[in-house]
Amino acid sequence: MFTLRRWWDRHGIQVVITGVALGGAWLLQQTQGAALLEIYQLLSRPFQPSQTQIEKLTNARVLELQERLVELENQNQKLKGLLDYSGKEKQKSKPIFAPIIGRSADHWWQQVTLGRGTNHGIKEGYIVTAPGGLVGRIDSVTLNTSRVLLLSDTTSQTGVVISRTRFMGFMRGQGSNRAIMQFFDKVPDVRKGDPVSTSPVSELFSPGIPVGKIVSLNLDKSPAPEAIVELTAPISSLEWVSVYPK
Amino acid sequence: MIEVSRLSPVSRQLLNAAVTAGSVLICLLFLPARLPGMELLGISPNWLLIWVVAWSVKRTAFQGALAGLALGLIQDGMTSPHPTHTVSLIVVGILTGRIQKQRYIQEDFISVALIVFGMAVVGETIIALQYSFYAERNLGEIWTYHQKIALASAILSSLWAPAVYYPLNRWWEKMSLLEQS
Repeated sequence: MFTLRRWWDRHGIQVVITGVALGGAWLLQQTQGAALLEIYQLLSRPFQPSQTQIEKLTNARVLELQERLVELENQNQKLKGLLDYSGKEKQKSKPIFAPIIGRSADHWWQQVTLGRGTNHGIKEGYIVTAPGGLVGRIDSVTLNTSRVLLLSDTTSQTGVVISRTRFMGFMRGQGSNRAIMQFFDKVPDVRKGDPVSTSPVSELFSPGIPVGKIVSLNLDKSPAPEAIVELTAPISSLEWVSVYPK
Repeated sequence: MIEVSRLSPVSRQLLNAAVTAGSVLICLLFLPARLPGMELLGISPNWLLIWVVAWSVKRTAFQGALAGLALGLIQDGMTSPHPTHTVSLIVVGILTGRIQKQRYIQEDFISVALIVFGMAVVGETIIALQYSFYAERNLGEIWTYHQKIALASAILSSLWAPAVYYPLNRWWEKMSLLEQS
């Protein structure tokens, strides 16, 4: 008993501090580092890109294209109505604009941290886009931050379709702004430069979001023909993204 | 300014723990940031690895392993726990503790930078090995990617190592001097 007491007098505080350190670390792991991300968001606020850059993005050309898109979508809607087409319809919702405040916390994951969270209406599974097309989807959310798993991550798999010929496949990230698309068909009709968008059967993304374009093809590849897709959204230089519900 | 040497032993230890935890927090907040001059090919220094090396250089392998475990858990939280970062940081802590640098080399800066360089390569290799056991990534891709990031992160981490090591080492030396007196 006495020796135990002496040992405790000598090492007690170290044991307690070690316990607190490990307990704290475990807590941070369990909460996905939520507290850390919140502090990071608070500290990096003065350095975050200013709101005016959103306006910069919407230049006249984009507006013109958007108007034409609305026109075409409406026509499409009417034609579908005439045909009694009952596909799953998504009502358009307003995007949540979010600044990118951080990148991945290690070298193996392709993630970015956004400076908006549940307080601003972002939920897990929401879709993240930028001028140029799809960027990724929300992977975890805290009050004021959210983490995006980018399309370019090797673990993110996306159902995609060649917009011109409707041949489907799925796409795996390759680290930078490239991704590999594997086709479901043995002999797909696809050419260099074909635009790629999300597929209508994708579980994770809504259909028809632009993703990228084909830069090279390997149709002899076994078991399935492959193509390399260049993502059109400039992920490495982005400062703002827009987040949509799925 | 508080006179550290006048504090009671208990409050001194608590202050020491607070300063240590604070330095970890600073390293953690640097992780997601990509400041100009701190990145190479989009890869930034591995701050937690630098911290674990700085901690373990003058401590035992067991203490190094504990630090590796704690920081590995936190990094898991900030990215993804599959595969875990704890293994690589624990190994780094143990190896650095085993080197017993102060017995052979008195000089501090360059040797710490060199240890960080070696440990960064070891750490990334362990993570790459872990990935190799998961089916979700292609083996060839993992190891070509590993080459790229192991080199870039080793170079950057060793260059930034003194920035973490110097102030922490000064503080811990002061603390241990006070402890002995």
